Amino acid sequence: MNTKPESQSLAAWVEETREGIDSGRFPVRAFNDQAVYDLEQERLFSKTWCFLAHESEIPHPGDYVTRYIGNNNLIVARDEHGEIHANLNMCRHRGNVMCKAEMGNASHFRCSYHGWTYKNSGELVGVPYMKEGYEGRLKRKDWGLVGVRVDSYEGLVFGCLDPEAPPLDEYLGGFQFYLDLYLKHGLGGVEVHGPPDHWIADTDWKICTENFAGDGYHTPVAHQWGFHLGYFPSSGSTHSQGWAVSIPGKGHGIGLGHGPNFPPFGGFPDDLVAEMKQSLSPEQVEVFSRTRTAVGSVFPNLSFLMQPFSLEPGEIGVRFVTMRLYHPVGPGRMEMYSWCLVPKNASQEYKKEAYRAYTLAFGQAGTFEQDDFENWTKVTQAAGMTMVRDVDFPYIMGMDSAPDPEFPGPGHAVVPYVNDTNFRNLWSRWADYLAGEV
Amino acid sequence: MGEQPVDRDTASEIQEFMFREALALDERRFRDWLAMLTDDIRYEAPLRVIREGLAVWDLSPTSRIFDDDRQTLEVRIQRLETDFAWAEQPPSQTRHFVTNVLADPGDNPDEYEVRSNCLIYRSRGTSPTPSLYSLSRKDVVRRTEDGWRLARRWAAFDQALINAHNLSILI
Ligand code: FES
Ligand SMILES: [Fe+2]
Repeated sequence: MNTKPESQSLAAWVEETREGIDSGRFPVRAFNDQAVYDLEQERLFSKTWCFLAHESEIPHPGDYVTRYIGNNNLIVARDEHGEIHANLNMCRHRGNVMCKAEMGNASHFRCSYHGWTYKNSGELVGVPYMKEGYEGRLKRKDWGLVGVRVDSYEGLVFGCLDPEAPPLDEYLGGFQFYLDLYLKHGLGGVEVHGPPDHWIADTDWKICTENFAGDGYHTPVAHQWGFHLGYFPSSGSTHSQGWAVSIPGKGHGIGLGHGPNFPPFGGFPDDLVAEMKQSLSPEQVEVFSRTRTAVGSVFPNLSFLMQPFSLEPGEIGVRFVTMRLYHPVGPGRMEMYSWCLVPKNASQEYKKEAYRAYTLAFGQAGTFEQDDFENWTKVTQAAGMTMVRDVDFPYIMGMDSAPDPEFPGPGHAVVPYVNDTNFRNLWSRWADYLAGEV
Repeated sequence: MGEQPVDRDTASEIQEFMFREALALDERRFRDWLAMLTDDIRYEAPLRVIREGLAVWDLSPTSRIFDDDRQTLEVRIQRLETDFAWAEQPPSQTRHFVTNVLADPGDNPDEYEVRSNCLIYRSRGTSPTPSLYSLSRKDVVRRTEDGWRLARRWAAFDQALINAHNLSILI
């Protein structure tokens, strides 16, 4: 073990970490450390585009959900004109919480302390004793709720605390091509099946982001039961086949696992496949028709997974899509939000079937989910040990893999699917933010 | 629910069945537990959502933590019988505390609707911090030729944000 002087500053540690990533090393400490957590709050979550909600969660005027960016609690509401706003969930008068529920519908928010009232867009409209107390000195337009930039892609609503940050489109940087795999199911797109599963775990959010950025390597071991009993339509020995695609300099990544002999778009109903061929580009069809499992992360903490699950061993089964947000609540601790996305135009039967496959596999009692979190909490525990403070993990898989010249999609696509390329890209983007370079 | 109250003998038989069913889970006799279920079992736990006081629902009409039938419960048990159910290696220690058992006549002559409270204590490995789950249950039990069987488990967690890294136990 090589020990470094205790006096090493955080800035020096970040610099060293950045250099290490290029040579395929990443420090254990990053996954459970108060100083790293604080720096993430200050430099990462205050600058990135962070996922807030799916539009289908707030379909009607007045619908709202409360969500977080970093440690900031936000009200994400659809106003009376249908426009979506994100405002800090804090009264401008003395700071009381405006919405104490996780979701609801309201045209106005009225503070329970002194009664200031805001429209659901955040505009201050009512101040008790306005004339008597403020004698004309208070201008309502100066004291609305603190707003946050919002933008959306295909129903995904993101917020950004930094007014100077580049637009969402640029931030996603071509990853939209892959997001469409989860979002353009039929011509109607997707909707949430209901409110998200919600639980808290002693796990660092980054472990989940990394796993979902395409960790095909863990599947045959961590989820061996599925292969063993035949409920997961793949085989351990062929599991490495497919592409790992990352968007250089952006941090996003996706693993596109192939199943030899797996039929094109297998596990989707036929009418949906026909519609998908219309809603997707020919390049997307070429890539996605071969994809059995797609697991991807939008930097920093939003992920998606699409895979078939079969209740009849050996059969193709049904495809489900889960979207998950890893909300950091402390070093080595997070709140998990997990949604099931279903094709809006599909039959109720198919939606129900896909949802049941999701709960059995990836809800909070899901049989795949259970094992992932068992592993991730242990990794987090280990990362908090003092002895490993200066120890690195190897990120050298696929170090020299050249991009596949035949691949029709954007980004850096490498084979095999079992590869650390996406993770190196992810951590180098993370380190750029922590170094204050973004 | 019917008009007739449930007679004492039936009520106490039902209560004993509920206790034996919980015991099978805590003793990890999962095959015995499966045998206590009807073939048409519905096993559901709706998701709790924190909404304003006057909201029409606080248990999601569509989202479920468990959404199982006989086939999927078999999958869960088969999984636990493999060497790869990492979430339960080592196994959780669970204790189901079932109280306030109230039986009422159900929709069919042989069925009873059983309300109960259930507190599950769960500890993992050497961790000194257990998980506690408090649930309200509305089950349906059926009298069959082979004895009592569970035909429906409906259990709602009394917490919206579950404080556990996973739910690899049965409720
Ligand atoms: S704190 Fe909200 S009105 Fe005073
Ligand atoms: Fe996994």
